[in-house]
Amino acid sequence: MSGNSKLNIRRRNLLQGGLVLGASQIASPFIMTARAEDTIKIGWDNPLTGTYAAPGKNELIGAKLALEEINAKGGIAGRKVEIIVEDSTSGDAGTAVQKARKLIDKDKVNFLIGNVNSALAIAMAQVSNEKGILHIVPGGHSDTMTGATCHWNVFRVCNTTQMEANAIAPTLIKTYGKKWYYITPDYAFGHALQSGMEKACTALGGTKIGGDLTPLGTTDFSSYLIKAQSANPDVIIFLVQGDDMVNALKQAVQFGLDKKVHLAGAQQELENLKGLPPEARVGNWVMEWYFDQPNVPHVADFNAKVVKASGYVPTSRTWFGYVGIWTCALAAAGAKSIDAAKMAKALQDFHLPPEIALCPDGAFYRAGQNQLISNLYVGKARVKGVKGPDDLFEVTSVVKGADVAGTLEESGCKMTWPA
Amino acid sequence: MNNSLKQPANIVVWVVLLTMPYWMGFVGGYTELATRILVMALGAMALNFLLGFTGVLSFGHAAFFGLGAYGAAMTIKYIAPSSMLALFIGVLVGAIAGALIGALIVKRRGVYFAMTTIAFGQVFYFIAFRWNTVTGGDDGLNGWHREPINLGFTQLDIYHNPMLFYYFVLVIFAVSVGIMALLLNSPFGRTLLAIRENERRARFLGIEIERHIWMSFMVSCVFMALAGGLYALLNNFTDPRALRFDLSGNFVIMAVMGGMRSFWGPLVGAAIFVALQDVVSSHTENWMSVIGVVFVLVVLFFPRGILGLTRKANNS
Repeated sequence: MSGNSKLNIRRRNLLQGGLVLGASQIASPFIMTARAEDTIKIGWDNPLTGTYAAPGKNELIGAKLALEEINAKGGIAGRKVEIIVEDSTSGDAGTAVQKARKLIDKDKVNFLIGNVNSALAIAMAQVSNEKGILHIVPGGHSDTMTGATCHWNVFRVCNTTQMEANAIAPTLIKTYGKKWYYITPDYAFGHALQSGMEKACTALGGTKIGGDLTPLGTTDFSSYLIKAQSANPDVIIFLVQGDDMVNALKQAVQFGLDKKVHLAGAQQELENLKGLPPEARVGNWVMEWYFDQPNVPHVADFNAKVVKASGYVPTSRTWFGYVGIWTCALAAAGAKSIDAAKMAKALQDFHLPPEIALCPDGAFYRAGQNQLISNLYVGKARVKGVKGPDDLFEVTSVVKGADVAGTLEESGCKMTWPA
Repeated sequence: MNNSLKQPANIVVWVVLLTMPYWMGFVGGYTELATRILVMALGAMALNFLLGFTGVLSFGHAAFFGLGAYGAAMTIKYIAPSSMLALFIGVLVGAIAGALIGALIVKRRGVYFAMTTIAFGQVFYFIAFRWNTVTGGDDGLNGWHREPINLGFTQLDIYHNPMLFYYFVLVIFAVSVGIMALLLNSPFGRTLLAIRENERRARFLGIEIERHIWMSFMVSCVFMALAGGLYALLNNFTDPRALRFDLSGNFVIMAVMGGMRSFWGPLVGAAIFVALQDVVSSHTENWMSVIGVVFVLVVLFFPRGILGLTRKANNS
């Protein structure tokens, strides 16, 4: 064992060395990023990598634009505002939770923002609620967030899946038929969206004649498409998102399905349409915001600013991020305080000013649920842009959020406020 | 074993761990990061009991980590609001799964063993992912949190006091690590080393190889499940990624990076891994590449890990 005893002396030295080295790893970047204490901090815990990198980055573009505007107008409570950005990853709730705790405990942020992925947003909401921090969810759609698991401090900008389903269902039933077949991603968001669609469809006299749950990240949809075709539906409803949406639509068009049955779905994003080859840009969808609104004041300004900052027209994601950050400033102004509970109270039934709402019927946070009610844009995908290469969606009708949101009781939210 | 020379290394480790929450803030960390390092280190050391000291590579150990996490989370959510009961049930679930799976796979070796562990691990991952009503599916299991511990005469509020929770985890870590060290220094531990060094020779000496590997697998799974339970309590949340094979891979990286032949190697590996992940990911979205590069450099230049450097110098 003499060999071992020598080893132990060395091991100790190395351990010490290793720890110093490890500590220096943590220490040096911290010094570089040391921040002034007197600023208002907004913690951004949203995807920058993975499946939702594109929407996550677009939300950040909108957020940064809002930040510039807020600082130009004197900041929040007279203090300069900064955003501290963390990558939550696209699907790892553990990381998102860890980052949320880091932002709140270490960086002492005044607001928390995120997440695109509903599962991550729900997990983060629990942390923000535990710590009593005002939390804005820009773009995670699962209904429970402003429903069964709602919290007094959590506000959501994007719509619920049920609202999207209610917005598109009447058009599909009236124009294309009552027999629907579903291609649904097999995870929480997909299940929620499909049950929302089924509910909306049944209410209008339609029926589900079949459906498949496809694993997230499916690349070959041919077996599902063949099955869907043989069921002979009027409409095939694609609820898959991101790359899955791109693959499913591409293959459906290659099979010639678009000539035989109608292809449609609920949620669509400009990011997806841009990713599709022209011939696969088909079907009827819902967008949650669209840049081509010539008759709505301030939209052209907003578009110009985003194009200047990023080179692309804003998508609904850009708008979510923009509204998310502005909500922080408006809440503080409304409450004349940066106390989370007071700000949350100030946001009850709070109407966004038109230069931020950027939609024809305005937008407000519904009291007792903290859900933003704005407009939804029902329409068709376009093969080729009309007003520029990114104009890939033709809005056929603008739906009022209040008409499709259901009642507060239906949302299932029972808000409890801190004593 | 020359304890007088081993002692200083241990003292350094314990002093560092005992004071960690106090200096963590000065080097840019925070208490929950310290707790996370401890939990991951416990997991990496548990894996290393099997990998470094028995010579068997499991690539599916996150399954037991995740079972511990779900066991703990579901206990608090569905059965009783008690952190200790949660940990106990988490460990129990991990141990039972470890015993059953271990018995099925101990005859496999090398890459076959690693592949079957991945396969079994993914079985649990998909159960957690698909069984929405019970596990919460991809959304994870939330709507519960760790509960204060009632000692009868006083109450430890580990829920609201992160510092207290750190020391709670440290006590569990110390007991677990102590048990593993005792086991390694016992005849049982020596037998495991013999199996690692030369399985055939050990078999000729009359050692029941399969039974020993199974027992080592069990020990490893029990502490892995404990780490998983603590991880769930730390996050007040768990999701199917706690069971997935990439987390298993992370534990292997921690053990290999720190030095899988040294007792404290995985602790150093876990500390570096967790700290790097935490710091680099705040600065660049390409943080995974940085961790990858560090890992590749370690494997190329310190093939026995950071703490394993000593042994190499010693042998030459």
